[in-house]
Amino acid sequence: MSGALQIENVEGGYEPGLPILRGASVSVAKGEIVALLGPNGAGKSTLVKAAAGLVPVWSGSVRLAGRDITRVPAHRMVHEGLGFVPQTENVFANLSVLENLQLASALIARSRRRELAEMFALFPDLDRQRKLAAGRLSGGQRQMLAVARALVASPSVLMLDEPSAGLSPKLVGVVFERLKAVRATGVTILLVEQNVKAALAIADRAVVLVEGRERLEGPAAELADDKRLAALYLGAAAEAH
Amino acid sequence: MLQLVADGLVVGSVIALGAVGLTLTYSILRFANFGHGEFMTWGAYLAASALALLLALTGGGAMEPLGPFSFGWQLIVALLLAAALTAALALAVDWLLFKRLRRGNAITLVIASFGAALALRNLVQFLYGTLPEYYTREIQIAIRLVPSGMLGDVLGGLRITPDQMLVIGMTLAAMLALQALLTRTTLGRAMRATAMNPALARVAGVDVEGVIRATWVIGAALAAMAGVFAGIVGQIRPGLGFELLLPLFAAAILGGIGSVRGAVAGGYIVGLAESLSVPLVGAEYRAATAFAVLIAILLLRPTGLFGERA
Repeated sequence: MSGALQIENVEGGYEPGLPILRGASVSVAKGEIVALLGPNGAGKSTLVKAAAGLVPVWSGSVRLAGRDITRVPAHRMVHEGLGFVPQTENVFANLSVLENLQLASALIARSRRRELAEMFALFPDLDRQRKLAAGRLSGGQRQMLAVARALVASPSVLMLDEPSAGLSPKLVGVVFERLKAVRATGVTILLVEQNVKAALAIADRAVVLVEGRERLEGPAAELADDKRLAALYLGAAAEAH
Repeated sequence: MLQLVADGLVVGSVIALGAVGLTLTYSILRFANFGHGEFMTWGAYLAASALALLLALTGGGAMEPLGPFSFGWQLIVALLLAAALTAALALAVDWLLFKRLRRGNAITLVIASFGAALALRNLVQFLYGTLPEYYTREIQIAIRLVPSGMLGDVLGGLRITPDQMLVIGMTLAAMLALQALLTRTTLGRAMRATAMNPALARVAGVDVEGVIRATWVIGAALAAMAGVFAGIVGQIRPGLGFELLLPLFAAAILGGIGSVRGAVAGGYIVGLAESLSVPLVGAEYRAATAFAVLIAILLLRPTGLFGERA
């Protein structure tokens, strides 16, 4: 498998002189689902935001299918083929379901655009709520819409920041099943998650981030039973106390 | 009584056009622009300059009135030119001032807008002087809206000039066009998306800086329109926009800051409140009436008429 997304030695943060990412590296091969794990404050969300162009990268590089996209403005990332679904407020609550998708569709070149009918087929719940304001959707439906909004632009890589946040265990299962279906359409996925068990269940590989850099990496099935994973979480918790 | 309603609708039209621009810049740029009134003043004066130029170019020096109106086609062209030039002025002010401060907090931008307002107002005075000007000195005869014999007596001889009717009609047409732009076009959806969540708009592919530029263009063009309308039904003065600034804010807040529909409704409510209060409290205190209405509405509905609850 070739490299779809390569984040190498990235240092960055919100404020100059206060680094959150301290040389983080994550590589995702084409067609993979990679889970980005780690305790609170490890820099997982910051890393995907940095890759998406929302957090300044001071050094290091982000490559998409070999192309350097480190300094590409956030609004151009969809044109490069990198989709991003933020953790919270990931839909335009004042726009209807249809308008959310129409906006994403209109902003992308016709050649890249996926048909909205295809999105509604992938997420039938959304089809029934087309005219509803996105702010009135349930948590699970919002996640579906956020994913559909990103998929309209045919991303080669989709990054999701904690799609299970705030969802019931049943809904987490539904959302993750949909992510597997998304991967089946040829989309590579980098998944930031706090829900380690659920993430490892659908991921091919996992990378564990601690204090802004990767500390552990391996096949998801192996990491699920790896005591070092728990130790890294507990170590961070012990240090926090 | 009905005459006061008609007068209120004319004033309300000017306020509504200004308040819409104010509420758009507030919701997308996230600061209260105290310089917005000056775009109205500049729009009015730029139209006067464009009109003078057009009249000179067409050789006449005088304007042939168009149908029942007090002005000719030259003022319509001048209005379009003024809208374009005021939009360019707003973009220049943004590039020179606001863009550099965007990463700071909203208070910095608000204070900067006070400075921009002072500079723009004084520049108008420097360039055009302080004496009032008029687009036309044609005298208009107010026409009876309802013919006598058909409820004409009951309606109290309601009269309105063709110019005033045009101002109300054009304002409503502009508002409908803006509503269509916001709900039916990609730019409109991108503007609403940016107002809701600029960071998400970026990752969704919206060029937020482009949306900001479009917001300045639309807001300033509407302000110029308001300034020209104020000049058509009254006179042009360097203080034109500044004197309307508080009613503009009252209208935008009353309607629910960030809501275009709210700004239009707020504009007409403020205009009507000011007009209808004249027989009760006198012309000196009519501006205060708008604020009494504002306080009453905010007590009942703190987010304004069309504002969304947090």
